Amino acid sequence: MTPNFSTIKIAGPAGSGIKSAGQIFSKILIDHGFNLVDYSEYPSLVRGGHNTYQITFSNEKVFATHFNVDLFFSVYPNHWQSHQSEFTKSTLVFSEEDFSNIKSKATFINLPLKEMADQVGSPLVINTLCLGVATYLYDLDVQKAKDLICEAYQKYCEINLNAFNIAYSYAEKNFSKFQIKIKKPKKIVKMGFNEGNEASGWGFIKGGGSFYAAYPMTPATGILHFLANKQTEFKLTVVHPEDEIAAANMAAGAAFTGARSATGTSGGGFALMNEAVSFCGIAEIGMVYYLVSRPGPATGLPTWTSQGDLLHAIYSGHGEFPKVVLAPGDVDESFELSHTALDLAAQLQTPILVVSDKLIGESSSSTKYFPDIEVKINKGKIVNEIKGDDFKRYAFTKDGISPVSFPGTPGGEFLCNSYEHNEFGFSTEDAVLSEKMFQKRMLKTKTALKICPKANFFGSKKAKKLIIGWGSPKGAILEALKLMDNKEDFAFLQLKTLWPINPEIQTIINAFKETIVIENNGTNQLVTVLKSQFDFNPTTIINKNDGRPFFPEEIIDLLTAKK
Amino acid sequence: MINYRSNITPTFCPGCHNFLVYAAMQSAFNALNLKTSDLVINFDIGCVGNMADFFKTYAVHTLHGRSITTAMGEKLANPNLTVCAIGGDGGIYGEGLNHLIAAARANIDITVFVSNNFLYSLTTGQTSPTTPKGARTKSTPLGNVSEPLNIVKVLKSVNSNIFVKSVDAKDIQEVTKNFKEALEFKGFSIVETRQECVAFGKQLKA
Ligand SMILES: Cc1ncc(C[n+]2csc(CCOP(=O)(O)OP(=O)(O)O)c2C)c(N)n1
Ligand code: SF4
Ligand SMILES: [Mg+2]
Repeated sequence: MTPNFSTIKIAGPAGSGIKSAGQIFSKILIDHGFNLVDYSEYPSLVRGGHNTYQITFSNEKVFATHFNVDLFFSVYPNHWQSHQSEFTKSTLVFSEEDFSNIKSKATFINLPLKEMADQVGSPLVINTLCLGVATYLYDLDVQKAKDLICEAYQKYCEINLNAFNIAYSYAEKNFSKFQIKIKKPKKIVKMGFNEGNEASGWGFIKGGGSFYAAYPMTPATGILHFLANKQTEFKLTVVHPEDEIAAANMAAGAAFTGARSATGTSGGGFALMNEAVSFCGIAEIGMVYYLVSRPGPATGLPTWTSQGDLLHAIYSGHGEFPKVVLAPGDVDESFELSHTALDLAAQLQTPILVVSDKLIGESSSSTKYFPDIEVKINKGKIVNEIKGDDFKRYAFTKDGISPVSFPGTPGGEFLCNSYEHNEFGFSTEDAVLSEKMFQKRMLKTKTALKICPKANFFGSKKAKKLIIGWGSPKGAILEALKLMDNKEDFAFLQLKTLWPINPEIQTIINAFKETIVIENNGTNQLVTVLKSQFDFNPTTIINKNDGRPFFPEEIIDLLTAKK
Repeated sequence: MINYRSNITPTFCPGCHNFLVYAAMQSAFNALNLKTSDLVINFDIGCVGNMADFFKTYAVHTLHGRSITTAMGEKLANPNLTVCAIGGDGGIYGEGLNHLIAAARANIDITVFVSNNFLYSLTTGQTSPTTPKGARTKSTPLGNVSEPLNIVKVLKSVNSNIFVKSVDAKDIQEVTKNFKEALEFKGFSIVETRQECVAFGKQLKA
């Protein structure tokens, strides 16, 4: 039977074009109608070291990259060494090395990259040489490949096409017996190819976002780069200020004037933004914080992945005030929850956090085509016309939400206050009023429960076991369930709103005798959150906290090992 | 005369120079015919920041040190607004100095008023970035070891295109004139009023 998925990986030092080759090959695959999920690893440096880029693709939906690799390219010798556990007996490993004495279950093939690069006249084309070989091995459309190579390299199109042709002909002549069979898609639908950070950016634009301020920090910087590039086209104000404190407070100022506003960072920057989160809480400023996590503490592992900031997000900001924490599980959900977050910020007038991680933020996949999606925007309770001069910005209401006026509106003048205040916004230290104002704000948590995104439930309510998770492990879990023989035994509950916790979650969980929580962190933070809400004792807890994501094969092993 | 005042009676100590600053701000706004609905004032935290309750315009009582960043966000998001920030030497030169330098470099069209009373007064009189070297304050009973900051010198070296002035708060005419000029200035403007804190200033004279 022809397999319906395959995984290709390319490895080499930083600066050798690993990522561009991977991204171009992904686009070639998408042009053939393949679905795919990419994953890349790189150290925190600009030249040297060891970078990898891998793609799992299929004619069907793919949720995560696989651990086992079918086709491996080492653009310089030895970059395959640390990946031997990923090789199977059907793996093909290409590198420029004498493999005559190698002992491995995989097949190693010498690829004369240097000689071919000399023929082209540039050592920079080694990555494109690999593309030529891969295009041949998967029997892909040569013209599509060439078009995308030209699109990517622009004025260096010719030299790269030359490299592609040389490698393709070489493969045709020497590697016909290595061609890899894979089911091709029957039809080609219009898809996008985006990283999670780009998807968040598209969600921001489509959700009416107009102001973004951020200080660079891996792995959140992609949102800043993306929006900075789009600022002219979509009339955005995008600012890179002096620090994260400024970024968050600027975004709050912008939101006060009526902008749909956001900031973004990783854990360290978010630590600095905590004061602003708290400020938005009491001043009732609706704005969005994108928190794209990497492993901490402190500088931690800058270019790796972690779900270690869930509690930091939920408990961010001193004092007690309502907030919402959302977590996309993949790139498409990064788009969706990004525009949802802007709506919630407008509706609830309080900080809305969107927590993802390096795995989602910096991994590309085939997605919906975002530029074509129109989103209906909810602007919340805004007053544009005010009679008299006694406007109560912080009026007591049943749902805790008071109509807001923006500067420029006569009669709507008010003090947006970081101190406790009365209905007009003026400071108060009155005991009764302080308590009442606090209670008014907390009503927004109830309102949030009604309008925040519901959890995803996959599988049957009658399954034997319930997997519970949030964020990026969604991909590996769904991919594992796709591949497992006993998939009917499992259902999967993916929380999209991590705060406040909807009481429905308890009802769903209590219907299962056996529960398995899967998190990419070291201290089971979701378990802590759920335990704080109801009596919860998961049967099994699966963690991983080494900066690496879960892979589907690993999930399968863990689920079958733990009975 | 446009009314910029709220109904709340100012709570500064009797004789505090912030009364003068409060009056001068209103005169300057009025002289420029600024509408309360098109004006946003960002108040830092401190004695002077407490002026927030005495105004009735669009206003934000921001976090300590962040009045300038909040103001920048507002101005960038809506350039039609007249945006200013007001704070003390602690908030603007201490906690928020990074933001002040960044705003001066960007030459963003906002106006900053600094009530420099050479102390942290709301917190009952500790040393500030402008406290004279050697001064014994509550937090430096052995004497302040740092050189005081001369903000005019500093900012002029950061960006020679901005408006930066330091005036004696007691000279109300000069203060009002400079506030008005600063508000009219296209680009970043800052006016420092040198003040004496009647409650804690005695420490500095000892
Ligand atoms: C983050 C933070 N740190 C400390 C404080 C406490 N605090 C309030 S006002 C102030 C200093 C005020 O000094 P200054 O800015 O010179 O204003 P003044 O009271 O002298 O007018 C401090 C440290 C605070 N509110 N927030
Ligand atoms: S403590 Fe000093 S600065 Fe504060 S109100 Fe009194 S006199 Fe003014
Ligand atoms: Mg002071």
